[in-house]
Amino acid sequence: MNISKTVFCKRCVCDSTMPEIRFDERGICNYCEQYFTRSGKIFNIAHQEKSYKELVAKIKRNGKGRPYDCIFGVSGGVDSSWGLVKAVEAGLRPLAVHMDNGWNSELAQNNIANLVRSLGVDLYTHVIDWEEYRGLMQAFFDAHVIDIELLYDNAMLAVNFKQANKYGLRYILAGYNQATEGIPLPNSWTWNKLDRKNIEAIAKQFGNMKIKTFPAVGAWDWAYYNYIEFIAFIPFLDYFQFNKSEALQLLQKEYNYKPYPYKHYESIFTRFYQGYILPEKFGVDKRKIHLSTLVASGQMSREQALEDLQKIPYPSMQDLEEDKRYFLKKMNWTEVQLKEYLSKPEIPHDHYPSEIKRVNKILNLRENIPPVISQTIVKLVNKFR
Amino acid sequence: MLKNRIIPCLLLKNEGLVKTLQFKNPKYVGDPINAIRIFNDKEVDELMVLDITASKEGKSPNFSLIEQFASECFMPLGYGGGIRNMADAQTLFTLGVEKICLQTAALNDLNLIRKMADKWGSQSILVSVDVNRNWLGKPALYSSSNGKSLSMPWLQFMKNAVEAGAGEIILNAVHRDGTMKGMDTELIKLAADSMDVPLVAVGGAGSLADMKAAVAAGASAVSAGAFFVFHGPHRAVLITYPKYQQLEALFS
Repeated sequence: MNISKTVFCKRCVCDSTMPEIRFDERGICNYCEQYFTRSGKIFNIAHQEKSYKELVAKIKRNGKGRPYDCIFGVSGGVDSSWGLVKAVEAGLRPLAVHMDNGWNSELAQNNIANLVRSLGVDLYTHVIDWEEYRGLMQAFFDAHVIDIELLYDNAMLAVNFKQANKYGLRYILAGYNQATEGIPLPNSWTWNKLDRKNIEAIAKQFGNMKIKTFPAVGAWDWAYYNYIEFIAFIPFLDYFQFNKSEALQLLQKEYNYKPYPYKHYESIFTRFYQGYILPEKFGVDKRKIHLSTLVASGQMSREQALEDLQKIPYPSMQDLEEDKRYFLKKMNWTEVQLKEYLSKPEIPHDHYPSEIKRVNKILNLRENIPPVISQTIVKLVNKFR
Repeated sequence: MLKNRIIPCLLLKNEGLVKTLQFKNPKYVGDPINAIRIFNDKEVDELMVLDITASKEGKSPNFSLIEQFASECFMPLGYGGGIRNMADAQTLFTLGVEKICLQTAALNDLNLIRKMADKWGSQSILVSVDVNRNWLGKPALYSSSNGKSLSMPWLQFMKNAVEAGAGEIILNAVHRDGTMKGMDTELIKLAADSMDVPLVAVGGAGSLADMKAAVAAGASAVSAGAFFVFHGPHRAVLITYPKYQQLEALFS
């Protein structure tokens, strides 16, 4: 990348090397502009307080007579940890749900343990069979698709849905939020997380394997959980003011929380994927989006973000080397195999069979049903439960 | 270094870690390499890995997997399961295992223990004595390879093993395994009073108080599985280990 020719957005740290970027006459890019358009609605304080109260009341009503009133997905990261604290503060009785894909860091385990113990929250962990998961990862590497984390994210959705269904709960609270994640990633940097068919097709073509215990979820599963069971994912942190550094300080002070240097570093693979594989093989640096969001939401200065971007996405070269060694060991790869993998070009996800069209149709269905009808259905269903 | 060692005990089934309840119903708890890495970061001072199906299926230890464990593990590593002869033991020590643990082979032939202790020293040869209480509460020696109770008195077998050269005895209370409902201090006391090599008590630890009770009854070290991998009423898999200061305070 030739720095001198790269144009940076005047407001955030997105730059002209990113896909589909456009700058307006002020030199401001479409990425942070999208943030401000979308968050205008969410961050209206009066609106936020009202919907927060309504949400909490609805969740409590749904939980009457049940051991829990909602599911809270936890990773050990700041966002979900803080969300869990706030949920308990609101008087909710969440069941914390965690998924272990064999790449958990000690930090993540320690943070989750401290948190659920101090809050007195029950925990459920789904441990994915590592041998099967490794097979799936290997197939994804052989397919040269970008979104390896589709595997984790898809299974995580499935596990949360299953637990909600098990206890008859309608609400799955999660840590994702506008304040620190409000700028969406460029489309070509990820893949739709509900594309079960894509996972199955890649597994079959490259690993000659069928999914055995991996908890996958596709468009039809999503439709079932949403439209038949009325289970919804709630970005809980959007319902109140969320300042990441304040949250972090409190978590450290009250819950013995240990922070990570960068976002999503609770899993060793995620760290290596974002900090090494994505930039090296796919020319993608997700920090540009993460930091731009912090700048747009006023949680970091633009100068600080630009300065951070100059550094490698790892605390030190030694840490990177250690993760590389560990990655090779877990995957049974040699250094040569890694080099070979990195040197090959990307193949788009939809080069393989995909159910993305169905996913989009089903996701849009909700917007096409008039609210009067959908609310009547919800009321009817409630009567018969 | 603590006066009394607290040793996580990981059970291996094929390539994955499991945790049993009274030696039955193995529940998958994850990838051993990642678990070892987490215990490294927690600064645990000794780790024990037992392959629970090797002897049952008449297989040798999974050497290539154990090699990976040993190279990942910063702490002294003990291994048990499927060790049948001097050659197996030699391979394990070469791979970097510090202590080996025998049971099935020791039940068959205590001479093997003698030969091993002569060659590598007692300190690296452990014998696991599994004891199960029947419905009347009567303790009996248990053979984990076939799940049967044996007629030989367990205390006698233990004493014979020590005499043959076992440097440590692992006393495993089968009926308490995975229950987290407290350790069988009566067995621990009986064992500790009848021999003078270090006794590692395992089975039933659900709290630090349970471990303290085991030490008070005469155990010189306590090992546990469920306590370090399960959390709360759903037995959610979550690897934890007490802080050094906590353990120091516990045994002071």
